[in-house]
Amino acid sequence: MTNINEKLSALYDGELEKNEIDNVLRELENSKELKKTLSIYSLIGLSIRDKQNITHIASANLRKDNKIFSKLWLSNALTAAASILLTLFVVNYADFSRMNISTESANKIASAVNSKEAKEVVANSNEFLVDHIMNVINDPAFMDTKNTIDLRNVGYNISDKQNLGYSNGRESFKLRIENSDFGLNRIRYWRHGNKMIYLVPISGGRVVTIYGNISASKAIQIANSIKQ
Amino acid sequence: MKKNSNNNDSELIEKVKKGNKMAFNFLMNKYYSRVYASLFSFTKSHEDSEDLTQMTFLKVWQQITTFRGDSAFFTWVYRIAINLAKNYVSSANFKKQKINTSIEEADIEIKSFDDSELSLIHEQSLHKIRNFIGSLPESLRTAFTLREQDGLSYEEIGKITNTPIGTVRSRIYRARESILDHINQEIIKND
Repeated sequence: MTNINEKLSALYDGELEKNEIDNVLRELENSKELKKTLSIYSLIGLSIRDKQNITHIASANLRKDNKIFSKLWLSNALTAAASILLTLFVVNYADFSRMNISTESANKIASAVNSKEAKEVVANSNEFLVDHIMNVINDPAFMDTKNTIDLRNVGYNISDKQNLGYSNGRESFKLRIENSDFGLNRIRYWRHGNKMIYLVPISGGRVVTIYGNISASKAIQIANSIKQ
Repeated sequence: MKKNSNNNDSELIEKVKKGNKMAFNFLMNKYYSRVYASLFSFTKSHEDSEDLTQMTFLKVWQQITTFRGDSAFFTWVYRIAINLAKNYVSSANFKKQKINTSIEEADIEIKSFDDSELSLIHEQSLHKIRNFIGSLPESLRTAFTLREQDGLSYEEIGKITNTPIGTVRSRIYRARESILDHINQEIIKND
């Protein structure tokens, strides 16, 4: 036997001649590669000798991977959300008419979202804002705020005491208020499936998040009622 | 000729008892994943299993002089590991205990799995490895599985396959090298 790896294999099996052991140990001490080879020999042996145990471990690792994949997905989703930000800020008047929004509201929103300043904000990408939107989309509990707001003056009642949703029979949504305005000074909104997400800055440096199947004009109306 | 397939262990253990870290390193690398796998059945946690495995080998290093050779070396190591695992299960303060048994205080380097090793302990990787072993040339596959799966000595394998011991040794080595190449090319490379 001249190959050190072959000697290592024999020592692993407990079959190396006694006078060759020290030589292999010295080589092993100076070579990370050999140590790794030895460790992998052991894992290979385990994979066929102790199938049941190793499969349990592998299954657990697979579950751990799933969590990692979900994080990766979220990371990708953040990138996607950044794209949504850019896309939705060039929405024009025609889009608003398709959403059955009054011309007056459409004018207000369009002027806000199509302004040069708004586009610059988006172009600079507000990571925190994207994070917030992804929480709205991905975390079902995120919009379940504990503080209820009386919105009967604008025609909405609490529809679901458990999950704190609001409805007027046709439109339903959830709402939460942040004690930070995210640097927003204009309305921002996103489409997610058949729902919309509106961020409306209100007094006191706060922002209202409204998420549901609700029109922009109604969202503004609701936010204005909270202002008062 | 050696009928005991772990005959070199006793020689290595004697070296460790004299403070030979190289011999300890060999034994640790050889048995680390087996100890880890045993502990995982207790903890169901990779992190805790690896911590306990490291603590086990720290104790092995510290207590090796008490090993009298009445049982196989792995049996003795396994007992240490299981005692630690029982403490882990019964103690809510395992994390605190870990801090008190700092591996950094020991004068020996304790192994941990690296990413490529961890990547092997996955269902897909195991499936690929087992498939590849199944595709090895019959002579290599037979020698390798008789050794790894059935725990036979080179001498016993030689008798069964009517092959000289040197050939058995070479076949087992070639099988391992082929599997190692496959792992490096098809599993670790793709991570």
